[in-house]
Amino acid sequence: MTILKSTYKKILVALVAISWVSCSSPWDDREGSNDPNLNENLNEAIAATPETTTFSQLLIQSGYDKILEASKSYTVFAPTNEAMQLVDAAIINNPETLKQFVANHITLSAYPSVRKNEIDRLQMLSEKYLNFTGTNTIGDAQIVSSDHYAANGIFHVVNKALGPKLNIWEFINSKKETSAMSAFLVSLNDFSIYPEDAEAKETAEAGMYADSLSNSYLKNVYNLNNEKNEYTFFMMEDEGYNAEVDVMKKYLTKTTADSTATYASYFTLRDMALPKAYTKEQLPEEIVSRFGVTYKIDKTQIVGEPVLMSNGVLYIMKKVEVALDKRLVPTIIEGESTKRSSNYPDFNYKILYRDKKDPTLGAPNNGFFKDVSVRSLTVAKFTLGYSAKDFYSTTYKVYWRAINDFDSTVFQQQLQIGRVTSVVDNTNYVSIIKTFDYVPVERNNFKEVYIGEFTLTEARDLQRILLIGNNSTGAGTNSLTLDYLKFEPVIK
Amino acid sequence: MMTTIKKQTPKQAKTFLCAMVLAFGLNACSDYLDVAPEDKLIEEQMYQNVYDADAAVIGIYGKFMNLAEKYVVLNEMRADLMSTTYNSTPYLEQLSEHNVSDDNPYINPKDFYIVIQNCNDALLHFDQMLAEKRFTQSEYDQRYADIGCLRTWVYLQLGIHFGNVPYITKPVENLDDLKNPNLFPKLAFPQLLDELLKFTENLNYKKMYASGSSLLVTVDGFNTEKFFINKECLLGDLNLWKGNYLQAASYYKNVMESTPTGGANTLDYYRVKQAEVVTNDDLAVGYLRDYWEDATTLVDSDTKGWRSIFGRSRDVLWNTEWVWSLPYTSNFAPANPFINLFSKTGGSYMAKPSQRAMDLWNSQVQQNKFPYDARGPKFTYKMNGNDPVIKKYIYKFEAAADPFNKDGEWMLYRAAKLHLRYAEAANRDKQHKIANALLNLGINNAYTPADYVAGSSVADIQQTKEPFPYDFDARTGDYPYFRGPWHRGAGLRGRARLNALPVVGDSLISIENNIIDEAALELAYEGNRWEDLMRVALRRNDPAFLADKIYEKLSKDNNPHASEVRSKLMNVNNWYLPFVWK
Repeated sequence: MTILKSTYKKILVALVAISWVSCSSPWDDREGSNDPNLNENLNEAIAATPETTTFSQLLIQSGYDKILEASKSYTVFAPTNEAMQLVDAAIINNPETLKQFVANHITLSAYPSVRKNEIDRLQMLSEKYLNFTGTNTIGDAQIVSSDHYAANGIFHVVNKALGPKLNIWEFINSKKETSAMSAFLVSLNDFSIYPEDAEAKETAEAGMYADSLSNSYLKNVYNLNNEKNEYTFFMMEDEGYNAEVDVMKKYLTKTTADSTATYASYFTLRDMALPKAYTKEQLPEEIVSRFGVTYKIDKTQIVGEPVLMSNGVLYIMKKVEVALDKRLVPTIIEGESTKRSSNYPDFNYKILYRDKKDPTLGAPNNGFFKDVSVRSLTVAKFTLGYSAKDFYSTTYKVYWRAINDFDSTVFQQQLQIGRVTSVVDNTNYVSIIKTFDYVPVERNNFKEVYIGEFTLTEARDLQRILLIGNNSTGAGTNSLTLDYLKFEPVIK
Repeated sequence: MMTTIKKQTPKQAKTFLCAMVLAFGLNACSDYLDVAPEDKLIEEQMYQNVYDADAAVIGIYGKFMNLAEKYVVLNEMRADLMSTTYNSTPYLEQLSEHNVSDDNPYINPKDFYIVIQNCNDALLHFDQMLAEKRFTQSEYDQRYADIGCLRTWVYLQLGIHFGNVPYITKPVENLDDLKNPNLFPKLAFPQLLDELLKFTENLNYKKMYASGSSLLVTVDGFNTEKFFINKECLLGDLNLWKGNYLQAASYYKNVMESTPTGGANTLDYYRVKQAEVVTNDDLAVGYLRDYWEDATTLVDSDTKGWRSIFGRSRDVLWNTEWVWSLPYTSNFAPANPFINLFSKTGGSYMAKPSQRAMDLWNSQVQQNKFPYDARGPKFTYKMNGNDPVIKKYIYKFEAAADPFNKDGEWMLYRAAKLHLRYAEAANRDKQHKIANALLNLGINNAYTPADYVAGSSVADIQQTKEPFPYDFDARTGDYPYFRGPWHRGAGLRGRARLNALPVVGDSLISIENNIIDEAALELAYEGNRWEDLMRVALRRNDPAFLADKIYEKLSKDNNPHASEVRSKLMNVNNWYLPFVWK
């Protein structure tokens, strides 16, 4: 009897238990969350945190408290009350600058301290960017306590206010009264280095980024007004800057002294911007500018500490010396850059763009190169045309590499250097600077061949560089071939 | 209630409870729930007539397509032409380094046996249908042979990769029993090959489906003719593995001569045709006419030239090259696995050409002296930034310019492979000159004497004058007029605008080496490489033939395990994957 009862009870309990479990609804279970953090939004959470009450006040003052109550998610980097003590009162008392100031602490979507990327470049609500590096560095501030979460995002408490910084171009503009180099760079808003720049200036629309489109430096070197990317810029003090420009003046002689100074400055400064932000420790041993100029930074010439900008790093330098033989880079024209022209429509198909291999070279690209060749011609003096920009006012030594691996005999070709003086009714008026003698093209010679030299009295573009075939109509005697031309400037 | 129980003995009560539980439990399974489904066929309703048989055939090919990715990955990643990328899974790296773990998803033999089980089931039912006269003897023969050959093909792959595998030809109750060697003993690869040959040679029907067959239709917008396995190609391959070279060459030659009667492509079908220099409407490496030495005029198009073998739609020219190819379309399962495997922009980019493969292409010199074989760097792969991307499988996807349109092909057999395999057999059958001609510049070129004066009669030259399967007539002459059936045959290297390869030392070995090298250049990533290397290495009893090539791949890719892998592969037993049933 007792046994029966207990067995029966056990079974009953088991059945009840099973039915209980199967009746509970997981849907209802998921609803109840006891996390109180999720009951308040970011604005409330920051206000309720004792270290960040000052910043919370500013949120209200600037109206950003309303934004942080929204249902989007945000990350806020909230400075501590001590950090806020150090902020200039002028910023806080001006509603405009206050808005910018507060906005620079807030970004859309949630970024916890542990993320996939080592560095995330965050666009703040101020439109400026800050780098979130590792788990605890944002811009130049450190996170003192991280990953406070609320219903609509995350906030980190930081030890330094993150007021919006100038970008490199804004900084340059702010120094135009006191720095010769800055003044020159800003003057390129009006002065055009290349004819295309003038066109850009005409069509540029007004606005805060107008400079980016029309300033000759920003257009041709790097757009230092771009907040999205990061740059390194070397800004020389007047003495060092003037000395470097003076060195360049001989090589950039123009018709007027003014123009000479402008171009000498431009060709000095175009190497001073780099497309990456380097801290002092990261500065590479040897710097290569986008124009192929190499130089070293003498760290003893750095004035003070590098200035952290919203889009990179700016170094004030006493001077940046670049050796002339590095500064004056050779001009190389690839043979295959010539176009089929309308001058000889019947012979255009004779111009062949070839893929070749230099058997003497190995890795990395196994000697692959492209060239151009013209052969089986029945016309004398067939011509291939080239042009190149930015020749210096100096003497050039000229070399070519030309591969004759098709004709059984040696043929000869010549080079002519000229420029276009004016264009009237689609006709180019030209001035010939130098016509070289015919040079034989030996068979299967993969070496550079010295052609001769010519001198420019004025720095300029050369729009008319011609490779001319032999003066003969016999096929096999008047071929042309060219891998590249190399113009090596001579140091005076 | 309590009183009732109280009156009973404890034992009775327990029994009563148990009975109740059982009654309810059994009741749940009772027949009244067993309603015949209204939207599915049950087994007895299948296989009523020839159309049901056709549905079974098409269904099996659908299942078969699930093997595509494994086929390509196993045959290429284990061999010397394909490497892993920074995106590759560890499982792909394991295959490349010949050191697989049991959980590697590419090596589950069950996937192959699922198709085999489907084949066995269909074959059994075909027998029953024939016995019950539900379709004709001829309808039976064709379908039975098709599915039988497909099963043989799957077994051949199993043998190549796993070495010892169970050979079952009847459906089994529980497929998982196959992992029990006591129930299903394993056959070694040579014995398996004998079984496969015996079964396949004994089939009553060895041609493609006869014209007018209900299986030659348009399905999902595709003509089905090239969906089905080419039985004679399979028989050629089996005989080539076995060493029956004359037999292999005969089967291959039958396919090479399977020209459709009449029509524009009578002289082009499976003959590896020369270039059309004026129109470039061909499958050759070509440049614009008159710009022959201008690299910028390379015919690089989905509708013209060599690249169009992979990019063009199933048109007349496509049919002259492709013997067997199964299409993927976004509208129907199974999904195309190759976009994800190869594409960098539309997929995961998990496989790329090995440095060794790229060096092979870039060490060739074309007839126009360009220092590469355009089939490699221009067509088979292209550089995307610093990454070489295998393009053969993604031309159609890229042409569609729609990330959701993942059309493509599982490329299984084409004329180039047919010619290379035929040449391999012919070479071993002492027909070196013919093998070398098909590999290089074609019969016409090889059989035109050096002292031939242009314009004189070709009546007695430009032909092999051998009996079947070595009979080729490639005469091209005007006085008297000759256009032999093979006069447009360019040879494989001729079609690729390369010069003939020299024969150095022993003709047999030299030509065979050249054939295998050419297979790399022409057929890379189409899933033939591992079996090509393995077949020749086994035939020569020379494991180094295979091991050295894989060593070179790994060492050129700077893989630290290169030497280790080489010594491992010097033992034939290590070529096979573990038979780990999952």
